[in-house]
Amino acid sequence: MRKILFALVASIFSFSAMAGGHADWFKEAGAPYKGTVLQGVAENTPPGQFAGEVLAKEFEKLTGIKVQLENTSWDQMYDKAIKDMEANSGIYDFVYIEQDIVYDYLNRDFLVNITKGLADNPDLQAPGVSLDDFTTFIDYFKDGSGDVFGVPMEAFIKVYLYRKDLFERADAKAQFRSQYGYGLTPATSFDQYRDNAEFFTHFCAEQGMECWGTTVQGHTGHPASTYEFLESIAPSFGLYNWGVNMDTYQSCVENGGQLNGGRAKAALNFWTQLLPFAPPEALQSTWSEVGSSFAAGRAAQGWVYGENAAWIATDAEKSAVVGNVGVMLPPTAPGVMTQAASGNGYIGYYDGGAYGIPHSSKNKEATMLWLQYVALNEHQADWAIAGGRITHKDTYADPKVMAVDEQADGYFTLMRDTGYLYAGAPPYPFHGAGRGAIDPFIYSALAGEMTPEEALDGACQALDTVMADLGYQN
Amino acid sequence: MLSKNKTGWLLLSPTILILVLAGLVPFIYVLYVGFFQWNPLAVDPSLQFEGFASNYRRLIFDEVFLESIWRSIKFSVVTLTIELSLGFILALSLLSSFPLKSFFRSVHTLPLVIAPIVVGSIFKLFTVQGLGPLPHILKDYFGYTLNYGLNADQAFWMIVIMDVWHWTPFVTLTLLAGLSALPQDPYESAKIDGANNFQIFTYITIPMMVPVLIVVIFIRLMDSLKIVDEVWMLTGGGPGYATRFTGIHIWKEVFEKRYYGLGSAMSILYLYITIVICWVLYSVMVARGKNED
Repeated sequence: MRKILFALVASIFSFSAMAGGHADWFKEAGAPYKGTVLQGVAENTPPGQFAGEVLAKEFEKLTGIKVQLENTSWDQMYDKAIKDMEANSGIYDFVYIEQDIVYDYLNRDFLVNITKGLADNPDLQAPGVSLDDFTTFIDYFKDGSGDVFGVPMEAFIKVYLYRKDLFERADAKAQFRSQYGYGLTPATSFDQYRDNAEFFTHFCAEQGMECWGTTVQGHTGHPASTYEFLESIAPSFGLYNWGVNMDTYQSCVENGGQLNGGRAKAALNFWTQLLPFAPPEALQSTWSEVGSSFAAGRAAQGWVYGENAAWIATDAEKSAVVGNVGVMLPPTAPGVMTQAASGNGYIGYYDGGAYGIPHSSKNKEATMLWLQYVALNEHQADWAIAGGRITHKDTYADPKVMAVDEQADGYFTLMRDTGYLYAGAPPYPFHGAGRGAIDPFIYSALAGEMTPEEALDGACQALDTVMADLGYQN
Repeated sequence: MLSKNKTGWLLLSPTILILVLAGLVPFIYVLYVGFFQWNPLAVDPSLQFEGFASNYRRLIFDEVFLESIWRSIKFSVVTLTIELSLGFILALSLLSSFPLKSFFRSVHTLPLVIAPIVVGSIFKLFTVQGLGPLPHILKDYFGYTLNYGLNADQAFWMIVIMDVWHWTPFVTLTLLAGLSALPQDPYESAKIDGANNFQIFTYITIPMMVPVLIVVIFIRLMDSLKIVDEVWMLTGGGPGYATRFTGIHIWKEVFEKRYYGLGSAMSILYLYITIVICWVLYSVMVARGKNED
């Protein structure tokens, strides 16, 4: 909250600075829509809170257009947005489009073509807003012809976080070396990751500390666990795009897929075997709980979503490990880094989302103004500090961002320099149905009701059935 | 007479209209959609008619769906039995006088006013491994590990406990109202005839309470068969399929996987099963009541 307040104060200054720049234009362009109320729904993330609590208020002050942004849970956000767009009810003027759902939305023609909308209404085209200012993350929100359907408002990479204070303890180093025969360092291989996890679980217990060796986003009833496996663990083992053969839309090995192949099974075995070294809440943890567990000092290392990385490293009000957070790329199997660098693979998930306008919106023009306001360069640095997200190229070089970057052990720099090694979700219009088919098998593997091998054999069959059902297989 | 009827129909018409719009029309729509294969994520997102029985035929062989029904029935029977037993004991207790009775009655009723989703949140905060107090207490004092994210039986019973906590007050209050309204003559006669308390309870109280019991059983049975919110919050249907009751299963099929046609057929089939269960139960209870008369 203090960061939001800080950002609010900072943004008042930038708002004043903007007064001489784009403020007049927004004031004039917004005049015909004064009194309009824009309704939006988004996932409750730090960047979403900044948009709702800071940017929306500034925009209203400037234009008289009120923005009511409903930041809610991930499940509720989808539920509300999709029901509204399916029913064409027009409740929401803008919705959050998570990167992995955009293909579904585009396939179902839910969204307004923003490029075309602005081209058709040149009067609504704000000066100072250029789609070229965005990082390549905006490409995920374009259709085949390059038209934009969503304005990115957050983007992160899922990184490896570790506790510097624990890894640098002399007694821990000595004990680790005597036990494992090599030096204690943050993990660059899976064996090392497992050793670190095992070691710190015992070390913390011996020291009377409430901490464990690793996080595991392993909720046995929430898709977060499937996402951790498919988007983080599996790619780092070299299993991409859910193991689906994208020519035939088959995922079982016997049909040309890889979801139950050697890499997938190695990945799931590795991941489930981490559970004894994870905090007890791991099996009820989604991405939020993983962030909270790490921030509470309950894990020595882990895969953590970037939206949490910045506040864990810098926000002393919410995090007990400020100043002690190290950030690195996660470990990968041999060859994966090379494949990722050459564009033939990826090491993890490039996460994020955009605001888009549903066709059912009754205030499309006013919403276009709002989305362009959100996209202004002026806001980006404060937004990055408050929310740990970067969507514009220039934001990395902002002095304020660079200062936070230093506190966060170079998280932003890492994102800038290695973002190309990450990828968004594969372009599957059947994303929800496919993932839903895999979920129960991942849950069962985590709960120990199935072996990883059985779970993946079952998962690939279930996924193949869905893809056949929906008409994707030839 | 005709004029009186017209006025009656006129006065009833808003209610009938609302019932038709809010109840009948959606029901007919769901029935209609249930005859189609329809998934907007499909290559062809339009409704595909593949025969009236295609979805229903598929469901008959759908192990996950059938297991979810069995799980829901098992859950309903277990919770209903516990809630009725506990509710009856509490209602009988509340008939007598004891210190702080009003306070106890108020506190006991509190769970009733809490929304199901909040009940789920409360139990989650209280029982989540690592952070909730209950697993700590159980581990530290009884050496028992509570981890319903891992243990299917624990997950099922945790939801039973949550449901019992939430809904027993409803059973108690309803039975208390019924007990308070019972005529006293049969009790006085029974006492004069030398009946003991157990005989009075078995042969007088229970038979006279049958109409109230039927109402309570039906309301709770239908409610527990369609449980979603609390489970959603506490376990999300996991671990694996352990707490995937039919309501959760339908939600996941319809809103996560977007099988609108199949999901509609599931809803209709489940409604049919619920009606059959209620009808069988009603017939048995009424027949038994008649025999006892």
